[in-house]
Amino acid sequence: MMTDAELIQWRANALRFEQQINQCVLGLQTAVRQIVIAVFARGHVLLEGQVGVGKTTLLRAVAQGLGGNFERIEGTIDLMPADLIYYTYLDENGRPRVDPGPLLKQGERLSTFFFNEINRARPQVHSLLLRAMAERSVNAFNRDYAMPHFQVFADRNRVEKEETFELPAAAKDRFMMEIRIDRPDDDALLDQLMFDPRFHDTDRLIAGVESGGMAYERLNDLAETVQNKIQTSPKLRQYALDLWKATQNPGQYSIQLADVDMNQLLLSGASPRGMSYLIRAAKIRAWLEGRDYVLPEDIQAVFAVCTQHRLFINPVYGYRKEQLVPQLAAAILQQVAAP
Amino acid sequence: MKRLLILTHLLLLGCSGANDDAVIDFEVETPRPFGYVIGDEIPERIILETRPGVILNTASLPAKGPVNRWLNLNAMHIRQSGQRYEIDLRYQVFYAPLSVRTLTLPGFDLHFGSGDSAFSKPVPPWRFTMSPLRDLAVKGAESGATLRPDSPPPQLDTRQTLTLIVAGSGASLLAAATLGFLYGYFPALRRRTLFKQALKRLARLPEKDMASALHTVHDALNRLNRKPLYQHQLAGFYQAHPEHRRVDSQLNWFFNYSNHYFFSRNVSATALDREKLIALCKACRQIERGSR
Repeated sequence: MMTDAELIQWRANALRFEQQINQCVLGLQTAVRQIVIAVFARGHVLLEGQVGVGKTTLLRAVAQGLGGNFERIEGTIDLMPADLIYYTYLDENGRPRVDPGPLLKQGERLSTFFFNEINRARPQVHSLLLRAMAERSVNAFNRDYAMPHFQVFADRNRVEKEETFELPAAAKDRFMMEIRIDRPDDDALLDQLMFDPRFHDTDRLIAGVESGGMAYERLNDLAETVQNKIQTSPKLRQYALDLWKATQNPGQYSIQLADVDMNQLLLSGASPRGMSYLIRAAKIRAWLEGRDYVLPEDIQAVFAVCTQHRLFINPVYGYRKEQLVPQLAAAILQQVAAP
Repeated sequence: MKRLLILTHLLLLGCSGANDDAVIDFEVETPRPFGYVIGDEIPERIILETRPGVILNTASLPAKGPVNRWLNLNAMHIRQSGQRYEIDLRYQVFYAPLSVRTLTLPGFDLHFGSGDSAFSKPVPPWRFTMSPLRDLAVKGAESGATLRPDSPPPQLDTRQTLTLIVAGSGASLLAAATLGFLYGYFPALRRRTLFKQALKRLARLPEKDMASALHTVHDALNRLNRKPLYQHQLAGFYQAHPEHRRVDSQLNWFFNYSNHYFFSRNVSATALDREKLIALCKACRQIERGSR
């Protein structure tokens, strides 16, 4: 457990970390704040967005800022689970060799694992990743490899649907957040992105992020300390419980969406793990805001990103899924009162 | 001499006149000579002036009563002023002609006397036409009745009065509704009485029950906002309810206090806090009534 003084120092580090990422990617302050929360809550993150909006740059900047060892893999349709663990090749002497794959190469020092285009990988790969994400360990070569600081950032684009595999519900539930990255719509930002040479060389841009400022091996300890120090009052617990119940049965909370039978809308609401993630994230936000107690606005700030990918819509409404799920999350927040 | 005699004789001849010359002025005034129907009265006026000493013999005037089978003299008045007479006769005709017919009021002689001498002046007969009341031929029932009912009496024009009554009633109702609205008497318009109800509830709550008091004010604000209102949403709230910007500092105090009370630790309520809460509620009530 860390001391209060260490917590204060860590908070300053966290805010500087956030600031540096914001200098690297423009117009994504909300997403950056959510990623920072996920980092300090030790949760895995799924990014979703259109092509070329800065998902990869954002994640590389986060990995650079966090320090530790970084691995990435591209999701392809022929990728198999074994490809994550080892790869075989002929060495210079012509002898076959087996070397550790991306998950094992860095051993315990692996801190950031970036899975690009995760929905192009097959469900078998998702399955392996699922265990790695949940248990932070992998079984290979007849032994378990622990990866205590392992954090997954995966992304998927929303444009292409050909030759892609939708993540199963169980895999999605392992992700603390699903953050949507939209392209900035501010003309000044777009102008800067187009004409400022600083943004043309991504490698140099990311290299500008200060590395090693965060002792990544202490993040687990920090997360535990924050979770213990930040308080939740009975009133807040009741509020969170109401929110959770509303995701299970929105009709009971008088939540109505246009042209939707609320009793038929959901196949499944948020899971207990999802709600646990929600409170963990809310506590980190309260800490970043300099409080030692959680307010409803902390929960509201992370509610959508922690909940939306856990709401499974009845296939009848599947064609309106992209529209209905955010509407439902917003309606829940608008209907449930805190005090 | 002979010439003088002849002149004198001529002068005497010139100065002497007939008996008729005793009437200096004689005039008969009659009305229009057409368009009379059965039962009409016809006035006739005779104006005459006699020489001094000549007197009208009133017995020579026709007597009141039937003149002939279709004519009646209803009235006769004589007004005498010196030698001037005005005689008003009023005849009534009872002739029922089948078509337009010319009739004659009979003439008569006026007799005058002067000493022993007497003379007369004729009042000429007067011709006029009478019309039948209706056609001779009676129409058959199939061709439509000739006789028709009397036209109904014309209605008084009450439109303006009615308009004024309606406008007056409408204005009164509107004024009463506005007053009721301002006083919050309409249950359907609870949103205009949110803080009135909140103040009532606060008055009923025990002084130490700060949680319920805060809940009451939160509830009023939430209902005004139509969804839960939090401190970080105040900017959006002011856009929809700009009049509440005047109590911005009080609202910020309220949300800070509520956050500490409900979500932090070791916050105890004081009487001063309650007073500030009621002051906020009263300020919001004034805004709600439009008096602030």
